[in-house]
Amino acid sequence: MRVPAIYFYYLYFLACLQLRLGLSYLRHYSTAPKPLQENSTEDVKLPVNPLEHPDYFQVHNLFTVKDLFDARVHYGHKEGSLNDYMRPYLYGSRLGHLIFDLDITAEHLRKALNFAAHIAYRGGIICFFNRNAMNSHKVERTAKECGEYAHTRFWRGGIFTNANYQFGAVTRLPDLCIFLNTQNNILNQHTAVRDSAKMLIPTIGIVDSNCNPNLITYPVPGNDDTPVAIELYCKLFKEAILRGKAERMKLLQEVN
Amino acid sequence: MSLVMSFTVKNLLPATICSIRSNFPSSIHKYSTGPSKTSSNVLDHLTDWETLSKNRKTSKAMKAYLERAKEHDEFMKRQHLEFNIGKRHLANMMGEDPETFTQKDVDRAIEYLFPSGIYDPAARPLMKPPEEVFPARKAAEFDEAGRPHHFLFYTGKPSFFKVLYDAAEHIQALNKFEDKVIRKKATPDPNGSLKLEGSVWLTKEQLEQSLVESIKEIEYENFKVVMERLVSSPYAYLCKDFIEKYRKPLAMQRFALEIPKPSYDEEGRAFITTYECLRKKARGEVTIRYPGSGKISINGKDITYFEDIQPREQVMFPLIFSGMQNSVDVECHIEGGGPSGQAGAIRWGIAWSLRSFVEKDMLEKMQVAGLLTRDHRRRERKKPGQPGARKKPTWKKR
Repeated sequence: MRVPAIYFYYLYFLACLQLRLGLSYLRHYSTAPKPLQENSTEDVKLPVNPLEHPDYFQVHNLFTVKDLFDARVHYGHKEGSLNDYMRPYLYGSRLGHLIFDLDITAEHLRKALNFAAHIAYRGGIICFFNRNAMNSHKVERTAKECGEYAHTRFWRGGIFTNANYQFGAVTRLPDLCIFLNTQNNILNQHTAVRDSAKMLIPTIGIVDSNCNPNLITYPVPGNDDTPVAIELYCKLFKEAILRGKAERMKLLQEVN
Repeated sequence: MSLVMSFTVKNLLPATICSIRSNFPSSIHKYSTGPSKTSSNVLDHLTDWETLSKNRKTSKAMKAYLERAKEHDEFMKRQHLEFNIGKRHLANMMGEDPETFTQKDVDRAIEYLFPSGIYDPAARPLMKPPEEVFPARKAAEFDEAGRPHHFLFYTGKPSFFKVLYDAAEHIQALNKFEDKVIRKKATPDPNGSLKLEGSVWLTKEQLEQSLVESIKEIEYENFKVVMERLVSSPYAYLCKDFIEKYRKPLAMQRFALEIPKPSYDEEGRAFITTYECLRKKARGEVTIRYPGSGKISINGKDITYFEDIQPREQVMFPLIFSGMQNSVDVECHIEGGGPSGQAGAIRWGIAWSLRSFVEKDMLEKMQVAGLLTRDHRRRERKKPGQPGARKKPTWKKR
């Protein structure tokens, strides 16, 4: 009898919050890792289609909202720089600084991780992007460690849109771009965001409160400057990709 | 004979013309084909999975690459054939055995048959094996599925940015090491220090050559900043190998020429003769005898051969500089030019001969003082319309 009561309290609480923020969206309430859904490959003989499974690579248990909080993912920029499209992801503002709602962030991040793992599972090329000099080495190392690619340098125009000319040969472009920040500097968006959209390359992007999430396929609202936060993202994406690849190896062995 | 000549030159031409550099996209590269996979129902819907799907697809990138490689192979084969024929004809022309005609002989023959006064040797006619004439191709940078081999491939300059990446990696490792040392309250190893005095960073061109990538000025500046930062660490000696890969020793060519061993005359004195001592229009030869008493003879006269003080000083300078003015005898024959040219020629000749009799550090000092440097300046010609080489007529407005 008690459970429903708590549930109603919770709904009431949510309603209050929404009133306070003037936001109209449904709140997601996942913080703790869900109990693992068993990979049906183990108990059932029939191989399951990974695409039909909601969380085939168990990316759900990679992190908790507490981890995000500890990594300072919830810090946005100052109020004045807010991009209107980022409004739905905010929890509020404190001392003039915007704060992200980590429940929403967690949801988006899990979707993004799941997608990255799927791409890795299918042998796709994943390219990491970051234009922040402080974090770029970390990002490059992540890419190297998970056997993928990185571009943290000046973006020469046309690398995607004019690839055959730029590389002097027919070139396979990445199948997924992961932006650990989507801005070139505080004013301009990274050109690769636009170019990926042009070339129909899906993108995952950590979008801070001053970024525009519109061209990003899987936007993840969160802090994109702090090294700790970037380290967490790198760790998570690396783990997801490695899980995807491990599954792939397993399948390869089964098939052969 | 003329028939043979024209035929030969015709065959010679292709390889000669080849010296014009052209850009060819890519080259041969061996790649391994993975083991063939069996089909499975699970895999049927994974259409983009080249390595797994039943009917394995080679990526477009690889297909294009293979086509190019084949084209290039054929081209090189043709060039080789032409080169070999040309070489045989050349040997026949020179009246030598085509079987034992080496590249050295080819170069000599070309120099003889096509004398060229062009200053830059790179612009002179040449006949070299095609693999030297055509620039080396990069091997395929991706595998069969089109996946690049290098993790920084999409930056367009993977090798260069890999260098920066490695440098950053080293800097972080050194910082960590330094922290550890400080925590243990130890001091840096005094023996392990990096000696960088005798070398400089690779120039932009050298770096480009070693990386086979063109880099921009600003990127080269970044490279230097990063490397300087790495070197500034007190523990930089730990990554000595990495640093030295990008440094070049300063030219040691000053003593690259062998210093001749002195010969001995019938009195048992060591002597060295330097022929062809040139300066302006003067030319002569200088003989130095050791041990001696400081006697100087110029065309049979002593130092008073020169009437002015300055040429006398010129002649004495290398002897006084090296402190040998009383321990050697100088004998020279000089002709042509005026007093200053003759004095300069003798000065250089004495300094050049003294190399065999002085210590190494004195040699170094003489080099720094410019005693061992030939002065190649010649008189500049007079220009028409003006009274001298540079002098202009007095300018009068009206």
